[in-house]
Amino acid sequence: MRAVWHAMRDELRAVFTDSQVRSILLVSLVIYAVIYPLPYQAELLRDVPVVLVDHDRTTTSADLVRRVDASEAVAISTDALDMAQAIALVQQRRAYGVLLIPEGFERNLLRGRQSPVAVYADASYFLMYQRVMQGAAVPIRQMGAEVEAGRLMAAGAGLEVAQAQVTPANQVEVALFNPAEGYATYVLPAAFVLILQQTILMGLALTATRRRRGTDHPVWLVLGRMTAWVTIYSVLLPIYLIVLPALYGLPNLGRVGDVLAIGLPFVLAAGLLAQCVAAVLRSAAVVQVVLLAVGLPFFFLSGFAWPVEAIPPLLNTLAQFVPSTPAIDGLVRVSQMGARLPDLASTLWHLWALTGALGVAAILIEALQAKPESVLIHQQQIDEMET
Amino acid sequence: MLREFRLLLHRPVLLGLVVLLPVLMIALLTGIFRAGIPTGMAVAVVDLDRSDLSRSLTRMLDAAPEVRVTHQALSLSEARALIVSGDVRGAVWLPAGLERDMTRGERPEIVTFYDNQHMSAGSLVARGARGAIDTALAGLRVSIREEQGEAPTQAQVALQPIPLQAHALFNPAFDYVHFLLAALVPTILQIIAAAGTAYAISLDFGPGRNPHDLVRRAGGLLPAMLGKIVPYTVVFLLILGLSDVALYGWLDVPLRGSLPLMAAGAVLFVLASQLIGALAFVLTRNMGTAASIIAVITAPAFGFMGLGFPREAMAPLAQAWGALIPGTWYVQLRIDQSLRATPVEISVWPVLWLALIALGLAGLTLTQLARLRRNLETAA
Repeated sequence: MRAVWHAMRDELRAVFTDSQVRSILLVSLVIYAVIYPLPYQAELLRDVPVVLVDHDRTTTSADLVRRVDASEAVAISTDALDMAQAIALVQQRRAYGVLLIPEGFERNLLRGRQSPVAVYADASYFLMYQRVMQGAAVPIRQMGAEVEAGRLMAAGAGLEVAQAQVTPANQVEVALFNPAEGYATYVLPAAFVLILQQTILMGLALTATRRRRGTDHPVWLVLGRMTAWVTIYSVLLPIYLIVLPALYGLPNLGRVGDVLAIGLPFVLAAGLLAQCVAAVLRSAAVVQVVLLAVGLPFFFLSGFAWPVEAIPPLLNTLAQFVPSTPAIDGLVRVSQMGARLPDLASTLWHLWALTGALGVAAILIEALQAKPESVLIHQQQIDEMET
Repeated sequence: MLREFRLLLHRPVLLGLVVLLPVLMIALLTGIFRAGIPTGMAVAVVDLDRSDLSRSLTRMLDAAPEVRVTHQALSLSEARALIVSGDVRGAVWLPAGLERDMTRGERPEIVTFYDNQHMSAGSLVARGARGAIDTALAGLRVSIREEQGEAPTQAQVALQPIPLQAHALFNPAFDYVHFLLAALVPTILQIIAAAGTAYAISLDFGPGRNPHDLVRRAGGLLPAMLGKIVPYTVVFLLILGLSDVALYGWLDVPLRGSLPLMAAGAVLFVLASQLIGALAFVLTRNMGTAASIIAVITAPAFGFMGLGFPREAMAPLAQAWGALIPGTWYVQLRIDQSLRATPVEISVWPVLWLALIALGLAGLTLTQLARLRRNLETAA
């Protein structure tokens, strides 16, 4: 017990007396909390600019234009003479879509023919494409339904019958858990978990590279350090996962107890992974460069932004060894979707299994490092080959 | 400079950081996105009607490429639980009496619920379900018109008085993967170029090292510093070039622009990224603090490039911060010149911005070097 206590005290001292580790754990909190969310503060795309090319110039085409303009998603920003001029505006990023109404649009409708219109949306930006298509398709479809119903009524059908024939059933789409379709609400809860993991990895791996070799039994040393991490992160984790989201006004359906229940094995697994990273890379500078480079790949591997269904199985298996993969999924489901722990039993098992496996690895590392010099040198050669 | 290449070959760690690490990361990201557009999102059907119509709707849902029906839920709350636990990405609710109400012309509701917290997966569910239900309803409407005596082709035409022809500009296959990779590769390279350069410089100028020898042999501090930077410029440009060969050749990403402009942009981008690292190091003379500065600038850079949430929709402060980061302009140039086929007179701007950033960073680094030289002279 005493050994555990000593190891904990040493780890806490190592973290708080090393100015660099301190700055990674604490200052980065402030900086990342300000810089990361900066791009997403507008939340929702409203009135995406769309260029109009109206070759018809009739009251019917004007009616269509007014309907599209009135939609929340897009706004008709400019009137272009032809497609070339319109595309040039899109290439300059001054507009993200073109609404093209061909000549004869009204005449075709009046003669009872099909009368197509075209929408060109900038597909280099997924979100813009979606908004432009959404903003144009709904009013155009609506207008088409009115025309069809009108024609049926002209042929003698009653209003009710005509409407039922045009729209046999109403399609309703309900967005669950992010009903306002906010981009910050979507990306920040996951990003905060990843940032938390990267600062744990970096801070604790740096501490590990600078540590004197312990003399106590490896198991007590590792347990003591784990206690130290839990002490530090009992303050920092709620800041990242509860206070920051609240400051940014993100919806929160999760219970504090559930967040902490996932947070505990997450912090432990990340801390233990940091010990392994430090043992393999050894130099503080190398640890920093490597951890900086893997942040973004870890985020995409987690299956949050890029659906896990689309990640090749081999890479997905690999991703399960990174604590952020189960933690992002579990914490997002708890805080944003109101999941309770029984829904997330597999996530909890996953995180505790990682903690167990990485814990054994950390103890082995500690035991090997405590061995006589000759073994140590051998181990170093192995490590060098690995890096 | 030759010394630096020799140093690179004799230091496995350095070689690992500037060659192996970026190549591995680029390969990993390419691997993640290799499969292309995601398909087959799991969906639950809450079929309370159990009619021919509801069964055929379920079949059409399953046939849509975006979704596949994996669960039959008995109630909405069961479907919701499946969504919350992550078993499915959405649910389609077919109410009791659907077929009957439809034939009576009472226009019943069909509701698609989708998980919009996982926006990319959720929007696929919405799109897939919308398409499948539309197709099913259109089939019904055609058969009603045929019963009324219309010819099949005539009925088909009458369904859509104003058909919408949707065109995906610059990306007809609607393959978003190209754009992600076109931006992710430079993002990773920007991080490694900055951090790797700082690390390489720290090997000679860090605490406990003796830079005098190197400075003397190179004939001055500036040549010595250039000797520490330029070899890595070559290494990073080679990696960028190879990944581009892979991207444009092997993965068939279209390339419809001016190669000289792309090349100029690449050189300026790599130099500017390296100068971030060099400046961070000569400012602090400490790899640890330099790494923190580099992290603050390069780690969140992806969000500011506007691939996910567009730059034009960001707050002015976010736009300004993004404009200071070389990757923002280089990614814009790459996308403009590779996929959007932007005319050169528009695409010259990002290159000019890159040049401006590189010059600014070089100027700052030079003033810091002047300070460093004075320190070295007093020390010597």
